[in-house]
Amino acid sequence: MTTFDKKWEHEEQQGLLQRLRGERGTWAKRRRTQRTVLATVAVLAVAAVPLIDYSMAADKRYDGVVCNRSGIADSHWADVAGHILTVKSYEL
Amino acid sequence: MMLPLALAAGCSHRGEADAESALYKRFSALPETAVAQVCGFALCDTVSVDVVLLQAESDAAWEHLKEMLAVDDTTGVTSWLGDTEEPATRAKWDGQPKLRVVASHAKRAVGLYRLDDERQYDALLDYQMWKMERKEL
Repeated sequence: MTTFDKKWEHEEQQGLLQRLRGERGTWAKRRRTQRTVLATVAVLAVAAVPLIDYSMAADKRYDGVVCNRSGIADSHWADVAGHILTVKSYEL
Repeated sequence: MMLPLALAAGCSHRGEADAESALYKRFSALPETAVAQVCGFALCDTVSVDVVLLQAESDAAWEHLKEMLAVDDTTGVTSWLGDTEEPATRAKWDGQPKLRVVASHAKRAVGLYRLDDERQYDALLDYQMWKMERKEL
């Protein structure tokens, strides 16, 4: 191998390495961005759990309640409406 | 002049969740009795009914309620299909609006479920059977 060939090979290797370094850098940056996004979504999801009103979202059993007494929760009346419909005759 | 109850259905029938029905108004002044109107009580995903609930706050008030609605003096639960204008009057289903009246001695409570059509009547019976079947003895 001549000196020229050696230099040529060296330059080729250097170029290849440089390209690989560039690709690796871009890939690493994308991975970092993906991880950051995923971590942010996970943190927000966990933080939002106590803020979601499941009783309203999943179990809305009535449109509204009018009552002649104050201080009784609307849900109490919905419970009574459901309960007395399903009490078996032998239940006291 | 008293407005016929059948013409004054209240709440969801007029698209207002908090409109007081004539039935609610009639009972809301009863002494020692908590009265509530639950609009659009869901029997299933697609069918709901309006309910007026009367809950006696004393023995005297419960006795008065029983007398007013001609509730059998038994334990457990009594129920019947009643006239919309006179819930104490027992009626048969004839396709016209009716009240399903359920009286619970244990809760000293009466529920008046307004049934405007057959779909609601079916859904109410389905609701009762479905829930009762799944109750533990």
